[in-house]
Amino acid sequence: MFVYEKKLQYPIRIKNTNPKLAAAIISQYGGPDGELGASLRYLSQRFSMPYPELKGLLTDIGTEELGHLEMVGTIVHQLTRNLTDEQIRTAGFDTYFVDHTTGVYPQFASGTPWTAATMQVTGDTIADLTEDLAAEQKARVTYDNILRLSDDPDVSDVIKFLRAREIVHFQRFGEGLRMAKERMNEKNVYYMNPSFDR
Amino acid sequence: MQQNPTNTTCGVMEGKLPGKCAQMVFPYIPMQDMNPEVYPQGEALERGTLFPGLDLPFHVEMQKRAGKSGPAVELMALNFAIVELGLYLDTHKDDKEAFALYTNYVKLYQEGKEKYEKLYGPIEQMSTARLGSYSWLNDPWPWEYEGGTK
Repeated sequence: MFVYEKKLQYPIRIKNTNPKLAAAIISQYGGPDGELGASLRYLSQRFSMPYPELKGLLTDIGTEELGHLEMVGTIVHQLTRNLTDEQIRTAGFDTYFVDHTTGVYPQFASGTPWTAATMQVTGDTIADLTEDLAAEQKARVTYDNILRLSDDPDVSDVIKFLRAREIVHFQRFGEGLRMAKERMNEKNVYYMNPSFDR
Repeated sequence: MQQNPTNTTCGVMEGKLPGKCAQMVFPYIPMQDMNPEVYPQGEALERGTLFPGLDLPFHVEMQKRAGKSGPAVELMALNFAIVELGLYLDTHKDDKEAFALYTNYVKLYQEGKEKYEKLYGPIEQMSTARLGSYSWLNDPWPWEYEGGTK
């Protein structure tokens, strides 16, 4: 089960509103490589993981990603506080505003709603963990691009933290793959799927 | 696996990695060494990782943000060290030094959390039982501008 902790993983306090930046950052909430997809990917893949280290790793990283989802939602919320009539007409934010006002909705920066088609659960240990390596890199790139777009130090400070987490998670998934290979104890790791073939 | 493949040929199923032969068609990420160097928890939160070895920042220079301190940030730093060490231990469960560090951070976090909740309100809903009133609902919530940076 899950229990809520009434605190963020990292402090967020954004002084200046910036709806245009919010309309880009929403992609890390519900975009193709965002935190919603990350948490659901790992928390769903864990059901078919065969070894305790991998069950633990996917549970713990998936849980941390839920905390990151909250952080990205917090950034969007704070960037769209008390907007003026002029600000809601900002190019790039007006199309978001017409559907969601200043609510936080999981969508791509381009407007497509979050979709499970951006993630996969193959039920195969090696395929899932290899997807997870790619997912961390794709999220890292999105944070790189947000850092290129952001001129607000209050925002960049938080994005920098989230970006650093992708790199640590990549390392851990890589270690998980190595451990899976050792556990499979096979010259040919494709001979069988340890989570299905018994 | 064979050592020094520079002078030998790897097996038919193997290819060369630095210093050894390894099975092909499999991605290799080196295991982080046991008992790795760590940052103090405050710096770890600031850097986004506890481990200098995994600290690979982006080239865009960032202005340091002022005023990122206080009881909430101290608690976040302790909690972050626990989260980071937890992931490390998931793939290094036999690292006794890392587990000792983890244990120490858990102790500090639990003490810190109890003090924080007395002053600023509950982090967990259950803590309200100890605090004497149902203060769980009190504003601000963490996502609000005034939330979570006390």
